[in-house]
Amino acid sequence: MSAAAPIVEGRDLTRVFPMPAGDVTALGHVSIRIEPGEHVAITGPSGCGKSTLLHLLGCVDQATGGTLLFEGREVGALSESDRSRIRLTRIGFVFQRFFLLPMLTAWENIELPQAEAGASKSERRARTRELLEYVGLTERMDHRPSQLSGGEMQRVAIARALANRPPLLLADEPTGELDEATGEQIADLFDRVHADGTAIVVVTHNPVVAARAQRRLAMKSGSVVSG
Amino acid sequence: MSAWSLAWRTVVHNPARACLAIGGVAVIGALLFNMLLLSRGLLVSFRDLLDTAGYDVRVLANEGSPIHRAPLAGAPSLAGEIERLPSVRRVALIRSDDALALPPGRDADAASVTLIGSTERQLGGAWDIVKGSTLPAEVHPGEPVPLVVSTKLAARQRLEPGSPLRIRVNLAGGASVLPSVDCRVVGIGSFTFESAYDYTVATTMAGFAAAHGAPDGKDEADLVLVASAPDAGPEAAAKAIAALRPDVRVYSNAQVVDQFNARAFSYFRQISVVLSTITLAFAFLLVATLLTMSVNQRLGEVAALRALGFPRRRIAANLLCESALLVGVGGVAALPLGGVLAIVLDRILRAMPGVPERLHFFVFEMDTVVLHAALLTATGILAALYPIWLAARLPIAATLRKEIVS
Repeated sequence: MSAAAPIVEGRDLTRVFPMPAGDVTALGHVSIRIEPGEHVAITGPSGCGKSTLLHLLGCVDQATGGTLLFEGREVGALSESDRSRIRLTRIGFVFQRFFLLPMLTAWENIELPQAEAGASKSERRARTRELLEYVGLTERMDHRPSQLSGGEMQRVAIARALANRPPLLLADEPTGELDEATGEQIADLFDRVHADGTAIVVVTHNPVVAARAQRRLAMKSGSVVSG
Repeated sequence: MSAWSLAWRTVVHNPARACLAIGGVAVIGALLFNMLLLSRGLLVSFRDLLDTAGYDVRVLANEGSPIHRAPLAGAPSLAGEIERLPSVRRVALIRSDDALALPPGRDADAASVTLIGSTERQLGGAWDIVKGSTLPAEVHPGEPVPLVVSTKLAARQRLEPGSPLRIRVNLAGGASVLPSVDCRVVGIGSFTFESAYDYTVATTMAGFAAAHGAPDGKDEADLVLVASAPDAGPEAAAKAIAALRPDVRVYSNAQVVDQFNARAFSYFRQISVVLSTITLAFAFLLVATLLTMSVNQRLGEVAALRALGFPRRRIAANLLCESALLVGVGGVAALPLGGVLAIVLDRILRAMPGVPERLHFFVFEMDTVVLHAALLTATGILAALYPIWLAARLPIAATLRKEIVS
């Protein structure tokens, strides 16, 4: 185990969803530690709690039990605006359906989180150009999402997730909407991001993507069963 | 990227929705603008019309009302007393009656007219001479009664300055037994208080008396018009006249307007308030519905933005700006549309019998534009509240999950 402080650490995390037919435990007593620069894949069947765990780690949902520490701060004790700030500056999110803003170009989609974080215009311009080169889409910077392929959209989404230089990148089924070849390109891109020092936690069904991770956590019925 | 520019891009990205919203707000806003113009227009126009006449105080008999007047007895001596007051600059006596204008030899062209008798040759702005001259200062015995006829009557009866005309006064409650008197048109004028279907003829007080078969004149008047001295003002003049003669009723123009405002015009105001409220409710429902639909279509997008760290206030600001843009552009488009509609409606209403042609129901005022903008702004903000609440309270994780599953 690494001696460095973890980026995010969940202790005995539980997430229960109240339902009309009775409470559903999506996650039961899971403990997890993500170290800086780590590459972790979470796998398991549908409905096993992978995305729920990812949402807790990404501070977009709150555990009903247990403790989550992000860079040493207890997330449950933070205000909504503090959690938003953490998500904006310390975490990058990549979604299965990309969720790019359809009215903005690739350039503008990547620039948007930087503007929200308060980066100056010149900083934004330099960082956006750098990220477009990084994901190989410089030629497509003026294209809207509707003019891009699925793989290109996911590359723009990854660039957007990296815009504020977060130490942690969370990806929820990033290749779920892509064909095999494009999925491999995205996996290659994750490898580069990881090699550049960003910790990655990826929830995936794709064995190719999972195989690239340093550590694989297998989940079943709301619990981590191996890894 | 600011909330405004993001909102603008969202609006432009959905042209059909934007056109529907802007078009709807423009039409509703035009109706609202009309209602607001109507709520004050008549009052403003009526005040202007009274002021145009150049007299700012009216003296009436104690009986009757400003509309249904009883004659004032001893009017010349009353006028003399009033004229001597230091707060008064000028006094005019007015009489009016229904009469028949008969062009000699052309009985088929006879027309019912309102005959006005005045002690003034030119009664302030009550008429403007467009051809010929105004009433003469003096009429020698045996000369025909001088008349200023309205442009419409002149056109109908093909009258020119110098044309002969006979006038026969109608007596209330029965056929007139008064003889018609020989008159001569000295001028053709545009009468301020003439309605679309009326004809007006003005003459001197002596001429008016002659038409009533009393060449030496009677000492009655329907109305005494008073112009206050500039350094005293109408309220001071009205107070002085009321103190001098408690047996008459005295109103400044402002008081006449107040009375009409409290009585006749209050109906217009109430109708306007009710219709304005309904139009605002329509604007609210339209914008709120379109924005709510828009938010519902973009739940995944909103949840993703929140997951990326965009705070609730930023999402709220985006939606508020979007609402403001739709309502703002629609509201601006509503002004010319409302203006054209107001002109058309004004023309229809002014054609009603008995309404002076120069009285307007819709009068443009800057205050109305400001009120229109303020009401639409408030509506835009209110309409955005529910979609904002919907977007801001969105459970991020559950929405993202639902979007993937769907």
